[in-house]
Amino acid sequence: MKVSPDWGWQRVLLAGMRDALSLPAWIVCLSLVGVGSLARDVGYPVGAAVLSTVLVWAGPSQVIFFASIAAGAAWSAIAFAIAFASLRFLPMTVALLPLVRRPGQGVLMQIVIAHFIAVTTWTEGLRRLPALAPQQRASYFLGFGGACVLTSCFGTFAGYYLVGALPVPLAAGLLCLTPIFFLSSLSAGVRHVSDAVAIILGFCLAPIFERAIGGGFDLIISGVLGGSLAFAWRQLSRRRKA
Amino acid sequence: MTQPIAWLDGAHWPYLAVFAFAFLPTEIWRWLAVLFARRIDPDSPVLEWVRAVATALLAGVVAKLVFTPPGALAALPLWLRLAALATGLAIVISDRRRVMYAVLGGEIVLIGGGWLLV
Repeated sequence: MKVSPDWGWQRVLLAGMRDALSLPAWIVCLSLVGVGSLARDVGYPVGAAVLSTVLVWAGPSQVIFFASIAAGAAWSAIAFAIAFASLRFLPMTVALLPLVRRPGQGVLMQIVIAHFIAVTTWTEGLRRLPALAPQQRASYFLGFGGACVLTSCFGTFAGYYLVGALPVPLAAGLLCLTPIFFLSSLSAGVRHVSDAVAIILGFCLAPIFERAIGGGFDLIISGVLGGSLAFAWRQLSRRRKA
Repeated sequence: MTQPIAWLDGAHWPYLAVFAFAFLPTEIWRWLAVLFARRIDPDSPVLEWVRAVATALLAGVVAKLVFTPPGALAALPLWLRLAALATGLAIVISDRRRVMYAVLGGEIVLIGGGWLLV
């Protein structure tokens, strides 16, 4: 939807919500349906499932959280695995904030904006925000992210009660949305051979280390090792060119 | 199943656990980014390394979800889960703007295959 530069923040906020509701918000909503069912599997109340969507706002963190509880991982291992799996938010947020930052904007406002950053809102934000007038971007992004969180709360809530009643292929399909979406958007973002190396190494090392190490720390180790090797690859190929 | 920490156990435990072990470890990076965004050069080698580690980690999450899947996904065979991933991947490689089609294609393979098998 076209946003006119003379619109006030309320109208821009609504435009952001409408753009989110045109498709992206529903994809996130569906991908969090599975989280609701996982929370139910470990006997946590529906409120905790919805709270995780509002507070954590990161599908993989939520899936790791509930799936690790089901697997009996130690709390420290769960926290570490989630912290490392969420490391991506540091570079992602650093990349997005300059687009929405305005002179005189408080730190609190930036923290609120940063909270709405997840894979979907980030990729869509990077794509849509540059076309807007700088003073409108924060409202637009908050509207966009807010609509995504709202539909996702609904999805988490529905999943908590519905997934158990669904036929197995459909329930499996909902749980598989996150991995398919993540691998696809990661691959769509590949800019250099080293990005592909990081994806392939991460994908191959994680299951190997899960067998060899386990306990929740396998994910961290495979990520750091795979990522470092990909980074070294990039440095070497750059030096060869220079 | 991971048991609650004994001295904090109670009706509020699930909420406390979500806050302490899922919210804080995730949100801390967004907060740090706000604090340091001005000082970090988006093209610095350190960020490049962080980005590479984050990418590998995310791919690791994908692998974990597919090789040791949660809930109903475990009822479908591994080759079908991998076929669904490969379908999405093939669509994205053919045109990288087609992420939504990739998700759709992968889901059709998984759900369709599941329907025929289960």
